[in-house]
Amino acid sequence: MLIEFDQAVVSTPQAEVLRGVSVTLAERRIGIVGPNGAGKSTMARLVNGLVVPSSGSVRVDGLDTRQDLKAVRARVGFVFQNPENQIVFPIVREDLAFGLKRLAPDRQQREARIDSQLARLGVGHLADRSSHTLSGGERQLVALAAVLVMEPALIVFDEPTTQLDLRNRNRVRAAIDGLPHDAIVVSHDLELLEDFDRVLVVRDGTIAADDTPAAALRWYREHCG
Amino acid sequence: MKSNNTVLVALFAALIVVLSLMPPIPMPGIPVPITLQTLGVMLAGAMLGPVRGALACLLYLALAAIGLPVLPGGRGGLGAFFGPTGGFLIGMVAGAFVTGWLARRLAARGSGTWKGLAGYVAACVVGGIVVVYAVGVPWLAAVAKMDMAKAGGAVVVFLPGDLVKAVVAAWVASRVERVFPMLGR
Amino acid sequence: MMEPLYVTGDTPLHRLPAWGKLLALLVAGAGLFVLRDPLWLAFAFGFSVVLVWSTGVAAAAVWRQVRGLLWVLLAVALFTGWFQGPLEALAVVLRVAAMVGLALAVTLATRTSDLIAVCEKALRPLERTGLVDAEKVALALALTLRFVPEIWRNFQEIREAQAARGLGANPVALIVPLIVLTLKRAQEVSEAIDARSV
Repeated sequence: MLIEFDQAVVSTPQAEVLRGVSVTLAERRIGIVGPNGAGKSTMARLVNGLVVPSSGSVRVDGLDTRQDLKAVRARVGFVFQNPENQIVFPIVREDLAFGLKRLAPDRQQREARIDSQLARLGVGHLADRSSHTLSGGERQLVALAAVLVMEPALIVFDEPTTQLDLRNRNRVRAAIDGLPHDAIVVSHDLELLEDFDRVLVVRDGTIAADDTPAAALRWYREHCG
Repeated sequence: MKSNNTVLVALFAALIVVLSLMPPIPMPGIPVPITLQTLGVMLAGAMLGPVRGALACLLYLALAAIGLPVLPGGRGGLGAFFGPTGGFLIGMVAGAFVTGWLARRLAARGSGTWKGLAGYVAACVVGGIVVVYAVGVPWLAAVAKMDMAKAGGAVVVFLPGDLVKAVVAAWVASRVERVFPMLGR
Repeated sequence: MMEPLYVTGDTPLHRLPAWGKLLALLVAGAGLFVLRDPLWLAFAFGFSVVLVWSTGVAAAAVWRQVRGLLWVLLAVALFTGWFQGPLEALAVVLRVAAMVGLALAVTLATRTSDLIAVCEKALRPLERTGLVDAEKVALALALTLRFVPEIWRNFQEIREAQAARGLGANPVALIVPLIVLTLKRAQEVSEAIDARSV
């Protein structure tokens, strides 16, 4: 997957959240760190078009997020920070089926996809559970399953482990590690990013550092610690 | 701020359910502990506006009609609609609509001030009480074969509680509006 | 906490189609409305009791549903008895009780999903006019069912937090944060749905 930011600016009436970011992302595992309010979440949301740039452009495999939104979203899945509000149906299985109806109109095929995706993440036994009875870690894994079932090429994670306890953090980390897909992960969990291919440090709406994890995280600890 | 009308209507319907199921509050001088169901209706109108507020109420009533225990006390099902107080339920949809319609007009200018608050109170009283009773009382009269005056007399005992609810709803709406401006959208 | 009132069973009432039961209910309602003779009304009431009992419902569940109604019926009976005489009061009470009883029986013996299917069919002509989007309606229903337990939990947490600060039973202090939280939740849910809209 090729993500190209070209002078992307995101500004709100209150502030300039991202100023003229230009970078090309093609690596398999990319991490984004930075202080709160620096613009990392906004940057993540630019990749799947949840936010579109006020000026400049963001392209995903050549598709402009402002013009080809649906095509972009078919390729890019998104996992949010809050595990609770991503699952929107009362039963896990129903939630995974949401949006699948167009991709897999045959019911048996759909159910098979759902079951296999949940099983891959170790949460197959949760398929018929009520969503509100799941733990935080289980919810995050189910949310990931719901994204995977749509077979995206790239998954963006916005602080996927921040609201989880240690044990569930490890579970989600392991799940991300095992994914064959490309991934961009915004995180405060620096351990998670240590084995990545590239890490960006976002500060004050720009990319302040862009390097290997070791170098970028060292810079981050020195300047933003 | 991203918002999706379907989500807002659905979550507000859920709020009305939660408010309805909260334990009733005993009030001095009022014979029956008051439930917060009408509070939910007034708030739906005040915060979401006439159309979305009415839809949230409709969704709430639909949940009750299909047999879910979302009415105060864990009641539900079609029985509640066919009984003497069914009109007060049906009237909630119009009530939310009028509350929202009036809130947009009366509270929009000067929300966060006394004038705005007064606007909200007026909206909640007219929408949440007058309109609801306008549907509920004739229904009661018809079902119980009373004449309207007597039916009206019978429900007058609930008015003080409902007036308190209207003031609380108005106060809540104006406080929330300060943090989460909804009147303009 | 949102357990449907439906009682699993295989009685004749259960087996009737949902739309048929609803239609019968409306016809019965109209019929009861014009019936005056207390004897016939008593018969109707007795029939509704038998119907409710036949669904296999637990007595406690019935009590919970009719408890509130009893007070209303008492007030109505007193009112009507005072102004129109005891026979008329009896007729009114029996009529209301029969109506509520029949409606309750239908609710107890009809699956929620079957009633939803009837609603869907009823909404279909409206869909053609563009007023109603069936997918949005289905999503709204699912969202409400999904989040009632979560919002209820928010309410309990807020109540505990307020109690811990000694704020007592102040409804405004309880409800304002609950609504703000719910509006924030609406934003996050909207984003999540957006991200999955392909």
